[in-house]
Amino acid sequence: MRFRAKIVDLACLNHFSRVINTIAKLAKTCTLRLTVSKLYFILSDKVANGGVSMWCELCQGNFFDEFQMEGVAADHNEIYLELMPENLSRALKTAQSAKAVKIKLTNKHCPCLKVAVELPSLSSSSRIVTHDIPVRVIPRRLWNDFREPSVPDFDVSIYLPVLKTMKSVVERMKNLSNCIVIEANFGGEMNLKIETDVVSVTTHFKDLGNPTWVSEDGCQSSVQGRDLQSMAEARIDIKKLQQLLAGQQVNPTKALCNIVSKKIVHFILLHEDVSLQYFIPALA
Amino acid sequence: LKCILYCFLFLLVFGRAVHAIARVSDEFCFDPLEKGLALRSVNSSRSAYAYVFFSSMFFQHYRWTAVSQPCQKEKQLSLPCKLIIKSVLPIFRCVNLLERNVEKCSIYTNTKDCHVTFQLLCRNGIVKTYNLTFQECDPLQAVFAKHLCPNILKVHSRLLADIIIHFPTSQEEVTLSVTPVKVCFKSYAEEDTDFSKTMLTEIQLNPDEFDYFQVGVDSKVTFCLKELRGLLAFSEATSVPVSIHFDVSGKPVAFSIEDMVLEASFILATLSDIENETASQEPPCFSQMQESKAEAIASKKPRQSGNAQNTASAAPASPLAKQAIKSVPRVTSKDVAGTEGTAITKTNEQAMLEAESVESRYHKVRTLPIVFTLYLSHFCKCCIFQFHLLFFGAVSFKEKDAINHTFHSLATASDTEEDFGNMQSS
Repeated sequence: MRFRAKIVDLACLNHFSRVINTIAKLAKTCTLRLTVSKLYFILSDKVANGGVSMWCELCQGNFFDEFQMEGVAADHNEIYLELMPENLSRALKTAQSAKAVKIKLTNKHCPCLKVAVELPSLSSSSRIVTHDIPVRVIPRRLWNDFREPSVPDFDVSIYLPVLKTMKSVVERMKNLSNCIVIEANFGGEMNLKIETDVVSVTTHFKDLGNPTWVSEDGCQSSVQGRDLQSMAEARIDIKKLQQLLAGQQVNPTKALCNIVSKKIVHFILLHEDVSLQYFIPALA
Repeated sequence: LKCILYCFLFLLVFGRAVHAIARVSDEFCFDPLEKGLALRSVNSSRSAYAYVFFSSMFFQHYRWTAVSQPCQKEKQLSLPCKLIIKSVLPIFRCVNLLERNVEKCSIYTNTKDCHVTFQLLCRNGIVKTYNLTFQECDPLQAVFAKHLCPNILKVHSRLLADIIIHFPTSQEEVTLSVTPVKVCFKSYAEEDTDFSKTMLTEIQLNPDEFDYFQVGVDSKVTFCLKELRGLLAFSEATSVPVSIHFDVSGKPVAFSIEDMVLEASFILATLSDIENETASQEPPCFSQMQESKAEAIASKKPRQSGNAQNTASAAPASPLAKQAIKSVPRVTSKDVAGTEGTAITKTNEQAMLEAESVESRYHKVRTLPIVFTLYLSHFCKCCIFQFHLLFFGAVSFKEKDAINHTFHSLATASDTEEDFGNMQSS
């Protein structure tokens, strides 16, 4: 099992750091899955996580100048590592002006991802900062826990409002209540509601638009025949929503959510080369 | 003592010094001397010692007068006071804002009622006066022979800050290891650390990056980062380069800055090489300490007690304490009139502190293996000391009254200082 990668381009490095920062805000511990062409940050929906799950996918070619990986076996050419993304975020934080960043899987005292940052210095040779981030190798028999989640059979699918606005609304609501109701319909309307003994606050968003989904048999879902007004709603933990929104450092190209009434809310945030899916289960 | 800081830059530096000392301990020793003002602090586990000295030239005006009435013994007497950091920090809290708001800061002591007064003359005629009570304290001074250190590095504080930033703020200790061709800062983790949960960081540098690089002996010294961060912030304010003097592991490391008007030293204990040491009664650290102390003491002025090594005066509570006391020579102030009560209590207290620190070193924390020699500060009740530092600077019309008041008190003090004439600024 081997892994080495190198980033030389500063823009790629910053982009990668931003992705890691976002992941670090969403999960304390997560799984990093390495394949020949992609990296995945996965959080599976265990009780420990409060039922949330995450699937983040990156194309390695968009970030790394060099990427070599040898998985556990020839027919299972993948590596699954469990790590704390906060460590990776911290290692990259001070690499803003790096000449190069190399990441390598090593095993000295214990398995580690060794991040070596080459920084410019006034002297002839560069300054080298190395961070050893402890990881846990996940054995093959557990890989099934980390399969890509399927898009749920949703009741409503709608584009999210401007994330910055949504974030500030949710942040204020967080001070008033622990849970928030998201409801939306196929008419492009979304409401965020909180209700306590003393106050209830609702923020209405209009004209958001609804994405068209291509189903497996190739036909587009049509809005016709659907009740445009009827709302699908789910009550979720407001902190989880706030974490998701706060972690977004760059505006995504596409941001939408699928609501399964009273069951789960599925958020999809798409950037050029990164896709992030986040599932928040509904509270009882 | 009365001194005034006028120029905002100096105020910033002074404030940063207080903040740096705050990282070492909760209280510090405010010690006005003839040549300038010294601030000293030791942490509770005796593993860090901070010393900042502002020469009289640092202040716009500095006046130190000893008005002593005839006493039994005519001595060079200083008036060290112990202040609680928590009381002083708020004065210099927003160091960066000081520049905008404060025009003048005067510091004066009144020994009669044990007060140190900080007076800030701010914009718009606001005057903030802080009266802090102090306790007398015996000034401690770490004796550390910097010039005997085989390894000396000198570098601008910016570089050190750029290195330290890579370590998380929660990182407690770092190891600095040097060879003639390489310098490395590494996060320190104890042997029983769970490595599967700890992130380790290492920074390698080329000796070229240092302004001065001398490595006489390859060494690895491990010290506490927290105290160092305070010094770095302080030295950045002064833009004076930082010198690092150290030896092999176990011997202390000194971070110091020195300039014409101020000097500062932060002396930190380092972990001794555990591999060579079994849990013996006499840790090598201490025995090394005894030797270096012996040298150091020999070079000092003769102490009243003469026999620096004999410290068995205070009956120690436990064998460990006895151990500790033996290795840290303490001048017993028994023979000093008027302070007997406090002296003995102090020595006992010290004994207990030492005992604690010796025990704890077996776990992790190590004590500062350096000598603490006490000045023979004889505080004779019949002597009254008054220190005045005055400021002359551009004074706005509004403050005229305050200044008149100041002049008035000046008139009563003796004016023998040559500095007085020199310091008078236009």
